[in-house]
Amino acid sequence: MFELDVATRHIKSRRRQTLFSIIAVSLAVGIIIIFMSMMSGYTSILIDSTTENQAHITIMPKEDEDYIYLYHGLENHIHTLKGVGGVSSYLQNEAALQYKHNAEGVLLYGINPEDEKRVVNRDKYMLAGEFVSIDNPGSRMILGFKLAKNLDVNMGNSVTVQIPGAEPTDFTITGIFQTGTPIDETMAFVNLGRLQDLHGSGDVVTGIGIKIFDVYDAEELANGIDRETGYDAISWMEQNAEILNLMETSESMVYFFYIIIFSISGFGIANVLIMIVMEKVGEIGMLMAMGTSRRSIMLIFLLEAGILGMAGVVIGCVLGYGASLAIASITIPIPPEMYFGMDHLPVVIELKNFISASAFAMVINIVAGVFPARRASKMNPVEAIQSV
Amino acid sequence: MFDDVSDIIIQIRNLSKIYGDGVEIKALDAIDLDIKRGEFIAIVGPSGSGKSTLLHQIGILDTPTSGTILLKGIDITKMSDKQRSKMRNEELGFIFQYHHLLPDFNALENVMMPLLIKGTKRSKAKKMAFELLKEVGLEDRINHRTHQLSGGQNQRVAIARALVNKPSIVIGDEPTGNLDTKKSDSIYELLRRLNKEYNQTFILVTHDERMAAKTDRIIRIVDGKIAEDSKNRKDF
Repeated sequence: MFELDVATRHIKSRRRQTLFSIIAVSLAVGIIIIFMSMMSGYTSILIDSTTENQAHITIMPKEDEDYIYLYHGLENHIHTLKGVGGVSSYLQNEAALQYKHNAEGVLLYGINPEDEKRVVNRDKYMLAGEFVSIDNPGSRMILGFKLAKNLDVNMGNSVTVQIPGAEPTDFTITGIFQTGTPIDETMAFVNLGRLQDLHGSGDVVTGIGIKIFDVYDAEELANGIDRETGYDAISWMEQNAEILNLMETSESMVYFFYIIIFSISGFGIANVLIMIVMEKVGEIGMLMAMGTSRRSIMLIFLLEAGILGMAGVVIGCVLGYGASLAIASITIPIPPEMYFGMDHLPVVIELKNFISASAFAMVINIVAGVFPARRASKMNPVEAIQSV
Repeated sequence: MFDDVSDIIIQIRNLSKIYGDGVEIKALDAIDLDIKRGEFIAIVGPSGSGKSTLLHQIGILDTPTSGTILLKGIDITKMSDKQRSKMRNEELGFIFQYHHLLPDFNALENVMMPLLIKGTKRSKAKKMAFELLKEVGLEDRINHRTHQLSGGQNQRVAIARALVNKPSIVIGDEPTGNLDTKKSDSIYELLRRLNKEYNQTFILVTHDERMAAKTDRIIRIVDGKIAEDSKNRKDF
């Protein structure tokens, strides 16, 4: 393939410009891979954190009802559904906690700890005590780390719980959890039966949390439960729609920047090729005189764009990989309760990011080569030869 | 009026080329010309007379405004761009005043180029190119690039390149115009020897009347017309 021979010789003949254009493409690819890896990291940590800290599907009472009354039957039905890993019913109540002179408003959850553990791995976040401790007889409570801090309570202290319409009751702190999310400041857990007694509404719940094996099936499964039972089943995606929409919007914005960065590197390649075309006018004319078709002339310059782009992509991928690893190893000096408990930048190195950044770069580089290639192929051989 | 058609390799009829956008310049004016296989022809004439334009038309490098050119009986004026490229590669060899060698390739690679364009295997192309470089006396310069060769040597490489595909017609546009008398004579002798050896048709545009006088036939172009065609001068 003589076109490849000519293309490589042209590139070698302009070493300095070639080097600079390869550096430009490498930097563009490298930077975009770093961005993509960080975006993947943030997305992954956000989704993991969201799906780990809450039920994947939550069943809410029917539209005109405050409670789910026959929740045991519903629980049993949900257990039979394919892909369900755990079911936990809860009674949620707004309450005020008081310890000495400190008082805080909280969302008090009455749960069955064994069921709850199958839906959300609460043990993982326990700073002190055991999550199942609220299953023991008596009024026991587990609360968030920040809430405990705000109330200035410790393990074994007794806090007074005030629920509208109920007598104030003391609960002993038997556990403190820390998730690194806002619930650390607003949530407390007690035994479901105990809260139902306190609440006085009988054997009812305000919601049923469901864990499923594939978190991305949540939407479909929730719709199915919705249709079958008439209860309002909400997936974690729906519950976090704002965050997910924000992520999608920011991804679109980032893609816009990718296009700008790649276009700049594409201009670099176009510039080198235009210089080569201008310099090689006579040579192009002679190649035409020797019988090279216009298609082959075009191919020569597109190959040059491809070779420059490919070299830049390979170096850029290595650069992006190395830099992503380096960034992932950087420890961030921030309080651990912020940003989902992260102490390093969330970088996820994924093959798909390398493939899409490389493909994107190659397409832009080839497109950048089209103008000079067309210009070369459209030359009049006589004028080209006589230009020397 | 014209020769026996069986020997004719190029037949030109009523060929005109008009340049210009607004003001028209008639570079070729209704040329009729027959060229026989194996002829060694000089096209002469003053600057701007149209001799190079005629050469470019024969070389399928340009298209005429009107008229026909039959090359081996095929009308090249009606060919597609792709067919023209193929015809140039297989039937025509070009030697220009400035050698127009590819500076990024050595002598051997330059000579190989028309064969590679044709699709000949690299090993075969290498062998054929070497044989021709040997023929023009440059077997010890095959790895040299243009800047490492003298003007005469570069022109010899260009001649080898023009002949490597065994074209029917070799076209030279002032092939010795950039060389001194001694080198010009040497190049002429080489072209003449190759013409006899391979029976290829040579058409050379030249300003050098001394060189033109040594050819088989002189076609003098003045104002886009054939003013003289001394094709029988060998018989005198």
